[in-house]
Amino acid sequence: MAMMRYILQRLLYGLILMLGVVVLNFFLIHAAPGDAAEVIAGEMGGTTEEMMAQIRAHYGLDQSIMVQLWIYLKQIAMGDLGTSYHFNRPVTELILQRLGPTVMLALSAQLIAMLLGVVLGVLSSRRPQGILSGFVSVFSTVGYAAPVFWTGLMLVILFAVWIPLFPVEGYVSARFRGTGLAYALNVAWHLVLPATTLGILFLAQYARLSRTAMIEVLGADYIRTARAKGLGEGKVTFNHALRNAVLPILTIAGLQFGNLISGALLVETVFNWPGMGRLAFDSVLRRDYPTLLGVLFFASAFVVLANLLTDLSYRFADPRIRTGGR
Amino acid sequence: MTKAVSPLGEAWGQFLRNKPAVAGLALLIVIVGFVLYGHFLFNADPYRIVWGPLTAPGEREGIPLGTDFLGRDIFVLLLKGGGPTMAVGLSAALLTVVIGIAMGALAGYFGGWVDDLLMRLTEFFQVLPALLFAMVLVTLFAPSLVTISFAIGIVSWPGTARLTRAEFLRIRELEYVTAARSIGAGNSRIIWKVILPNALPPLIVSAALTVGVAILFEAGLSFLGLGDPNTISWGQMIGQNRNFLLEAWWPVAIPGLAIFFTVFAVSLVGDGLNDAFNPKLRSR
Amino acid sequence: MSPLMSLSDLRVEFDTRHGRVTALSGISLDVMPGETLGIVGESGCGKSITALAMMGLIPNPPGHVTGGVIEFDGEDITRASNRRLRQLRGRDIAMIFQEPMTSLNPVFTVGDQIAEAILLHQDMSRAEADRQVIELLETVGIPEPEARAKSYPHQLSGGMRQRVMIAMAISCRPKLLIADEPTTALDVTVQAQIFDLMRDIQAKFGVAIVLITHDMGAIAEMTDRVAVMYAGRVIEQGTSDQILDTPLHPYTRGLIGCIPVLGRAAASTDRLPPLAEIPGVVPPLHLLGDGCAFAERCALADDHCRAVRPPLDDKGHPVACHHAGEIA
Repeated sequence: MAMMRYILQRLLYGLILMLGVVVLNFFLIHAAPGDAAEVIAGEMGGTTEEMMAQIRAHYGLDQSIMVQLWIYLKQIAMGDLGTSYHFNRPVTELILQRLGPTVMLALSAQLIAMLLGVVLGVLSSRRPQGILSGFVSVFSTVGYAAPVFWTGLMLVILFAVWIPLFPVEGYVSARFRGTGLAYALNVAWHLVLPATTLGILFLAQYARLSRTAMIEVLGADYIRTARAKGLGEGKVTFNHALRNAVLPILTIAGLQFGNLISGALLVETVFNWPGMGRLAFDSVLRRDYPTLLGVLFFASAFVVLANLLTDLSYRFADPRIRTGGR
Repeated sequence: MTKAVSPLGEAWGQFLRNKPAVAGLALLIVIVGFVLYGHFLFNADPYRIVWGPLTAPGEREGIPLGTDFLGRDIFVLLLKGGGPTMAVGLSAALLTVVIGIAMGALAGYFGGWVDDLLMRLTEFFQVLPALLFAMVLVTLFAPSLVTISFAIGIVSWPGTARLTRAEFLRIRELEYVTAARSIGAGNSRIIWKVILPNALPPLIVSAALTVGVAILFEAGLSFLGLGDPNTISWGQMIGQNRNFLLEAWWPVAIPGLAIFFTVFAVSLVGDGLNDAFNPKLRSR
Repeated sequence: MSPLMSLSDLRVEFDTRHGRVTALSGISLDVMPGETLGIVGESGCGKSITALAMMGLIPNPPGHVTGGVIEFDGEDITRASNRRLRQLRGRDIAMIFQEPMTSLNPVFTVGDQIAEAILLHQDMSRAEADRQVIELLETVGIPEPEARAKSYPHQLSGGMRQRVMIAMAISCRPKLLIADEPTTALDVTVQAQIFDLMRDIQAKFGVAIVLITHDMGAIAEMTDRVAVMYAGRVIEQGTSDQILDTPLHPYTRGLIGCIPVLGRAAASTDRLPPLAEIPGVVPPLHLLGDGCAFAERCALADDHCRAVRPPLDDKGHPVACHHAGEIA
C-alpha cells in the first residue's frame, strides 16, 4: 500500500538522520581539546587510572579512528549511549527517566499554543483591520522578542510570588504522598506555569500564521460556494475555511519541534522541571559529556519522530497529497 | 529632471513612511548608543560594589535601577553587558547569513546532486535542537565570544539557506540570467553579480530578523552560564540573579527588559523592511 | 404572471481607497419563472455584483446595498434576516460560478459537498441524501456516479467539476439558478455540453436561469431576454431577438460585432463581417462623471452625451442612448 511504503521510507530516512547525529557526536568527542578518554570521563576529578583504562578498552581508543567509530556505532545500536560517570549510571537509563516530563511539557505547550493561537487567529481574521487583529500583530512581535526564560521568571514572580496561585518550581510537591488522580492533578498544577511559558513563545506565531492563512482562505472561491449553499458563518468558518487553513499551520508546526525542545531546555532550567533539558543543564555544569551527547541524541530522535507524525497528519489532512493527485 | 530612484531608495522611502518601523529604528539607535557610548557618560567600574545587595530601584539616590545580588549597580552593569550581547548577536547573524547564502546559492543555482546533498545537510541541521547543540559545542570548546558566535551561526543557517535557495531557483529561470549566460558570463559571475543582487531584498529582511534570534540565543546561553566568563552580559545577569528572585525581582526583570526591547526594536525594523520590499503585502 | 425575481432601482456602493464608489446605480430587472435572462457586459460592468445581490451575498464590508428593492417571490430580501437569507440560498436560489477549479472545497469529497446542501435544506437522513447525490450526479451526466461521489475535486476535470457544481445547485430544486460565466474557464467543446445540460435541466425542473456572460454567442444560444450592462447601469434591455437583430446602443452593437459566431452565421467564413473592436476600456467607477459613461469610447458621442446622462427610454425596446439606432 502506498501509505505503508511512504511511512517505511520516512522511517528509513529518519534512521539515516539519527545515524548522522551519532557520527557527529563521535567526531565532536574527538575534535574537542584533550584526550578522548578524558572527554568521556568528564572533569570528574575523581577519575582513577583504572577507570580511564576501562574507558579506553570499552571504546577501543587505542585503535584507528574508523575502528573506533565502528565500535561506537555498534554500542549505540545496542542502546548503549555510554555511562555517566557523574551519576554513575548508564546514560540511556538516565535519559529514559527524564523523557516523560520533557515530552509532557513540550506537547502541552505545543497544544496550548496551537489551540489558543488558532482560535485567536480565526477570530481576528474575521475583521482583518479590527482591534483583535491589531492585538495579534503586536502580541506576536512581543511574544517573539521576550526571552523565554525571562518570561518564565516573570510569570513566577506574578503567579507564584505576588499572587501565589501556582508552585514556584518542581514536578510534584515535596512531601506529596497521593497516588492516581491526586498525583496527576498535583503534577498538572506544577505544569501550568512551565507549559504556559513555553506556550506563549509559540502562541504568538500560531495566532499570526493562522490569521494570515484564514484571511487568504476566506477569500477563496469555495468559501463563496459554501455561503451560496446557505451555510451559516460558523459552519463556513470552522468547517470549510479552517479545514483548509490548517494545512499551512501544520507545516509550520512541524518545523517548530526543534525550537520547542530548545525552549523546553530553558524552561526546565527555570522551573526545575526534571526533564532532559534540566539533565542537559546539570551535565554541562559537571562536564558530563556522555550524558550531554545522549540528550542531544534523544532530543534529535524526538524531533525526527515528531516531524514524521506531522508529515503523516498533513497527508491525512490534505486529500490532494493523500490520493496522489497534483 | 528628477533623479531616477533606485529600488533600494524606493524601499527606504517606504520604510520611512512606516511608523512602527521608524519607532523601532529610533529605539534601536538609542539602545546601541547607550551600549557603545554609555560608559563615557557614566564612567564607572561595573564590578564595583556600590551599596548593599539587592537594593531596590530608587531606594537610594545615584543608583536608579538598584543593585544586584552582590551590591553592584544594575544600571552600570546594563551599559556594560549590552556590548557582548550585541557583538555576539551581530557576528553570529553575520555568520548565519554567510553560511546560509553560500549553501542556498550553490544548491539553488546548480540543482541536481549538489542541491540534494546540501538540502539533506540542511534538513540534518534542522533536526538538531539548536540550543542544545550550541550548548554541546560551547561546553566542548570552552566558552568565549568567538566560540559562542560560531556555535550560534552553525545552528541557525538552515532557514537562510532555504530562503536563498528558493530565491535562486526562481531567479535563475528569468530572462536576464539567460541573457548574462548568453554573453558568456561564468557561473561565479552569474551567482554573485547577477542573481544575488536580485535576491537581496528577502535576504536583508531575514538577516535583520536573524540578528534578533541570535541575540535571544546568546541571552539563553549566558543565562545557562555558558557565556564568556570574562565579560558581563544581559542573559548572564538574569542567570546569576535568578536564585534571589523570591527576594528581589528587579535584578532579573531589568536586564530581561533590555533584551526584550532590543529584540523588539530589531523585529520592528525587520517587519518594516519586509513591508518596504513587498508593498503588496502591506494590507495584511 | 408576476416576476420570480425583481430588482427595482437597486443601488450598491463599495468603500474603496478612492472613497465610496457606486457599483450599481438604479438597476431594474425582472426574471420570470422558467425563463432565461441574460446579463451581458465586459468585466467590471457590475454583472457579477448584480448576481451576488440577488443571493444577498454582497460582501459587507466593503459593500452596501444603499437603495432599491430586491424582490424574490414577492419578498423583499434586502430586508430579510440573515437566517431567512440562508434559508433561501441554496434552497430557492442557487448559483454556479465561473471557476469550477477553485469553487469546490479541495479537502472534501464532491459527494459530501453536495450532500451538505441537501441536508441543510431538506429533512432527510444521511443515507437518503447519499442516494440523492448519486441520482443528481447521474442527472448532470457524470459517469460512474457512485465512484465519483467519493472523489475529491482535484481528481475531476474542469467540465466534470462544473457538472458537480450544477448538481449541487439543483440539489434542492431551486426556482432560480444564477450562472455567473459558467463556461468561461472551460474548453469550447465542454462549453457546449454545459449549456446543453443547463437547457435540459431547465426543461426538466422548470427553473428560471440568470446567465451572466460577456459572450454574445452564449446569449444567442441560451437566453429569452437580455439586459446589457455598462459601468453599473442597464443600458439596453429586450428580448434576445431584439437585442441580437436590432441592437440600438452603440455599445451593444460593438459587443455583437465581437461575436465569433458559431453555427448560425458561420456557414461561410469569408462572409463574416470583420471583427469590430470597441476601443478603450470601461472607466474606473470612481472616475464616472455626469454624462454617458460610454461617451469616451463612442464614435457617435457629442458634447450633449458628455454632459447629460441618457435615460433608459423605450425606443422600440428600452435603451439608454441619445443617438440610439444611429450609424456612425
